Amino acid sequence: MKELNILWMYHDLMDLYGDKGNIQVLKTRTERRGIRCSVTACTIGEPADATDYDLFFLGGGADHEQTLIYEDLLSRRGNIAQALAEGTAFLLICGGYQLFGQYYKDQDGKVIDGLGFFDYYTEATTRDHRCIGNIAVQVHMDGCTFNAVGFENHGGQTKNVSSPLGKVLKGHGNTYNGGFEGFVNDTVLATYMHGPLLPKNPQIADLVIKRALKKRYGETELEALDDTLENKAREVMLKRLRVQ
Amino acid sequence: MGIRLQIVKTVQKILQRSGRGGSFPGQLGLLMDRNFISRFKMPATVILVTGTNGKTTTSNLIAESLRQSGMTVLNNHRGDNLNVGIASLLAGGSDGSYNIQADACVIEVDELTLYRQFKNLHPSALVVNNFFRDQLDRAGEMETIIRKIIEVTEDFEGDLILNGDDPNVLRIADHAKKARIHLYSVGENAVSREHTDEASEGKFCPRCGRPLQYRYYQYSHIGRFECPEDHFGAIEPEILVDSVDYTTGTFTCGGRRFHSFVNAIYMIYNCAAVLTVMKALGLDPEAADRVFSDYVLNEGRHECFELSKPCEINLIKNPTGANEVMKDIMSRPEDKNICILLNDNDQDGHDVSWIWDAHFERLDSPATKTIICSGTRAYDMALRLKYEGLEDRIKVIEDAAEAVKWLDEADMNSFVMATYTALHSTRAILRRQAAK
Repeated sequence: MKELNILWMYHDLMDLYGDKGNIQVLKTRTERRGIRCSVTACTIGEPADATDYDLFFLGGGADHEQTLIYEDLLSRRGNIAQALAEGTAFLLICGGYQLFGQYYKDQDGKVIDGLGFFDYYTEATTRDHRCIGNIAVQVHMDGCTFNAVGFENHGGQTKNVSSPLGKVLKGHGNTYNGGFEGFVNDTVLATYMHGPLLPKNPQIADLVIKRALKKRYGETELEALDDTLENKAREVMLKRLRVQ
Repeated sequence: MGIRLQIVKTVQKILQRSGRGGSFPGQLGLLMDRNFISRFKMPATVILVTGTNGKTTTSNLIAESLRQSGMTVLNNHRGDNLNVGIASLLAGGSDGSYNIQADACVIEVDELTLYRQFKNLHPSALVVNNFFRDQLDRAGEMETIIRKIIEVTEDFEGDLILNGDDPNVLRIADHAKKARIHLYSVGENAVSREHTDEASEGKFCPRCGRPLQYRYYQYSHIGRFECPEDHFGAIEPEILVDSVDYTTGTFTCGGRRFHSFVNAIYMIYNCAAVLTVMKALGLDPEAADRVFSDYVLNEGRHECFELSKPCEINLIKNPTGANEVMKDIMSRPEDKNICILLNDNDQDGHDVSWIWDAHFERLDSPATKTIICSGTRAYDMALRLKYEGLEDRIKVIEDAAEAVKWLDEADMNSFVMATYTALHSTRAILRRQAAK
């Protein structure tokens, strides 16, 4: 029996906006394909070897929580770099997205170093330019193109993104009124989309699962599931945002 | 002399005569005069009630208890707690020269509005219930709200009535150096637990940042906590509920027994807040107990309608409130249908992700027959339940009237949970359906 092991980082601190729903979706959709799925939660000060896992998940947190985890996360840099090199898949939401870039500069101009794996960086904005609301994105990922929906709620403006996850159809994206959303490469998917992201976007969920399985099993086909409710919930929002 | 007020009062009277009240008069007043609220000459006793959950119920219980004590009281009993609602309330309760015609005002104030209106309302007391995650897209992060409340209470010289079992509320006491602090607390009882899967806030000591240690949790992050380093949380509450008896729906405090009003832990906290207010004002707690045993709860809270079988409706608006409502529903053993109305209009918050933080798996019991998902985000709700393995019992009926009709025809006890903007419209539908 195939298995998929998920490392859920800072589950108790980076858990804003229902991001834990993503874990529930990954686990259910994996198990429904007859693949065993185990989820290991890890928080500040607890040992975990990221290279042991197929998927690394880090959600979003409030500013205060983000400052609490940041030093612990930086102390794991070498291990996370190795997991990246070995093909572990990464799913990063909001704060998690920001922390994998060069730096985060807050409203007072204070700079917090990121893990620096990618070229993008994030700068806080004034209250008026906070990006809040429903968002629709045309996602380009692993050779697939499709529309996804989410809810964004971030003050940080992320710039210099070399390969965005997709084009914004309605909403803001990486920057206020920006044209692109998130970051994606072969193994890392980083996004501001909450909602949570995966329930209404089963296509993204399955691509993430396939990436995670690839580490140990190579390309894996996933049998189709009944996504009637998922598709309906997404279509209601796309229709409301006047995106077809 | 108060020409603008006269206009507002006239409009208010005309609207009321045609059966409409609402916040329009207040809106008009604020439009003509942005300092409208600050013009009123408030009575000596002005009690403001704020926090995330239980504001409407607690402020109504306080207002009724003061009335039982012989005072005349002006209060926003329907929970119109934003600027315009408060402006309407004051206009309606004053004479033509801005004098409030009551011995006391008890005003529920939205957590965000409190920051703007605190000084204008000349409060003699402020009650703070609790802080939970709520409508993050509208309210921003909870930390910001708490900091703003700390800011306005820093030089407050009145009575500050605080829930000593919520670390986020108790924080305020550290900064309010000039206020008279009154804390309330509820002792260990049948629902207290050593561990919890509900707490998402209040994990760290606000003084030193180290993890707080909990002796027990009551619900969410409310419970008996203390910082092992600096002893934040080592409180001596003025009102301590020493025991709760859920079989008789009573609790004891200071050597006497009180009715629980509603037999649930969160309500014991609301009652404790009321008793603390009574004590701070030097009033007999007996008056409060009469209210606890007789008062009919605000509309849409445990409100029952006679469909073919009884149907109870409750407001849900955030994970903590929804968790408590579900605990209550599932404590009734009978077979039941459930209807969840999830809207995402302005007052509900546009972000419905909070449903993923609430424990909807609690609905999974053989006694739960069908769960109707309704409202503007009915499919989001259905999806949430699907991922709790409730797929086989979900039915989506987006239209609320159709959903209620289905419940009526199913001929089984039912429970409706509705978000704010769905609540009043659904109550009207239930009333019509019950009359058929």
